[in-house]
Amino acid sequence: MVYPSNHRQIVEELMGGKFILSNEAHFNALKENEAFYSEFFKISFDLDLNLKTEYAFLLSKDTQENFSRDVSIFIAILCYELDRDGRNFMEALDFNEFTFEEVDRYFDNSSFIDLIESNKSLREPDARRTLINGMQRRNIVSKNFDDRFAFTQAHKVFVDFAKELALKRMAVESE
Amino acid sequence: MIKAEPRTILNFLHANFDVVKDLFSYQIADGLITKEVYDMLIQKHGHTMNIRLREYRVIRTLGSDYEMRDVYFKLMEFLLFEFKPLLPETIEKYKTSISELFLKIRKYENQDRDILQERIKNLSHQVREFVDLVERNTFRLLAETRELKSNIDRVEYREKVHKASFWIEYYILPLNRILDVKHSESVTSTVLDVCEYANRRRLDFQDETIRTEFEKLYSQLIQTNTDLLRQSKVLVNELLPLLERIRTESLILTGWIEFLRNPYKMDTPPLLKGTRTMVYAKDMLYKVREFFEQFSVNDYVTLEDGVVDFDKWIFDRELFKGNLTKSLPVNDFFSWCYKELQKDFQDIETDKFFALCGLLFDGDLQIEFPKKAERVTLTTTTSTISLPKIKIEPALKIK
Repeated sequence: MVYPSNHRQIVEELMGGKFILSNEAHFNALKENEAFYSEFFKISFDLDLNLKTEYAFLLSKDTQENFSRDVSIFIAILCYELDRDGRNFMEALDFNEFTFEEVDRYFDNSSFIDLIESNKSLREPDARRTLINGMQRRNIVSKNFDDRFAFTQAHKVFVDFAKELALKRMAVESE
Repeated sequence: MIKAEPRTILNFLHANFDVVKDLFSYQIADGLITKEVYDMLIQKHGHTMNIRLREYRVIRTLGSDYEMRDVYFKLMEFLLFEFKPLLPETIEKYKTSISELFLKIRKYENQDRDILQERIKNLSHQVREFVDLVERNTFRLLAETRELKSNIDRVEYREKVHKASFWIEYYILPLNRILDVKHSESVTSTVLDVCEYANRRRLDFQDETIRTEFEKLYSQLIQTNTDLLRQSKVLVNELLPLLERIRTESLILTGWIEFLRNPYKMDTPPLLKGTRTMVYAKDMLYKVREFFEQFSVNDYVTLEDGVVDFDKWIFDRELFKGNLTKSLPVNDFFSWCYKELQKDFQDIETDKFFALCGLLFDGDLQIEFPKKAERVTLTTTTSTISLPKIKIEPALKIK
């Protein structure tokens, strides 16, 4: 049997909880063999592959995962504070670079301070750096320098989550 | 007076939290609990519920209707974090009470010590209440304005502006006046004056008890100033620019605001948790080879102990017991032991000698002690031992 090129890298990264992004070479191999990989992960590990035009990742069966929750809270507060600051947060997530200093300023002055202080991945600047480094390992952010980072296309998973939540709530309200 | 133990009341609240929560919700909605609503709840939960609610003073009658007593209402507000926004006029009254107490403390500081102490304590209490109300009000205003920003009901912009203007005019601006430290008439500036005065008096007041009271008040006010500054920041950064903020609207931000209401009760995107055991480990080939190689070795391996440098003599009880039995009767047991060892060893070691003497404690020997103090002296490698002559005879067999 002949495996697709970069098979090992694809399996290794996806099983490590990493996003594969469309600008990466092995994304094409994954996309071209979508049917094979969907079946491969389902039969081998009972995991579903989520392949979008800009990124791919494996869906976990555990919806109570702390990392995903911490990242969601992080992005939610960052978006809220960027908007409060009069900035277009979607543009910022898509194209801007953020410095750690800037993030610290937003979080330290946020009115969600009680929530921030109750979360051990967000309450201290060092803890936030650890979270961002974790996001980098998963390809959710990229770091060109030590003190700054930018979001990759993978952040859209969280943005879509917020959008779906809003639509769900609005549907409930209008009932 | 309530006859029930405090713990009993808390147990009742714990067991019937939903009933008390319902009563609280009705009171929030209508300002009281109407007779119809109350009767319906009692019908559902039984007559005992009515007796307990009255006995524990959870509710009181109000004409033909009912209301939840203030202490329970405040407890529920706190537990559910559902504070009613207060008109700043309600908070502003603390300006008067704090100022008056402050004035009296300064004016009569050299008069009665007890009343001065009471005034300081009361002032501290008023400040605590004031901060508490400000915090609750800011929290509530934040919740209301976030709701406006989220706009889950998708109300029109004009209506949003109308609501925002209402909040700004009647709640946010007046609250800002109360908190604005630059404004000489604000409560915060009064609190600052008290803080400055308490700082001086905690150091130079003659009476030690009062100095301690000022010290406590000063520590409390330092924390108060930090808390008020934080609330003031929220007002300036987030509440005052409300009109500006509601101009933009985004479905994504609506989602985030909804999510941040209670982020721990919602399912977030299901990301796979990275495992430490990778499907492909970098050194997998070597690990697998090492694993299988351990089964490919067929030769038996024999391990031998190294050279031992100690005497391996082990006392053979059975052998010596047999020798002793054969030699019975023995007139001098210890000399017999000595001679037995001499058959094998030239020099008798103390340890070996004592090991052999242990035979004496075997139950089936008949031991006879000398009537006179007859003793025998024996010499081992390390000691010279003086021992009594003990006679051993064969044990008597009971038929």
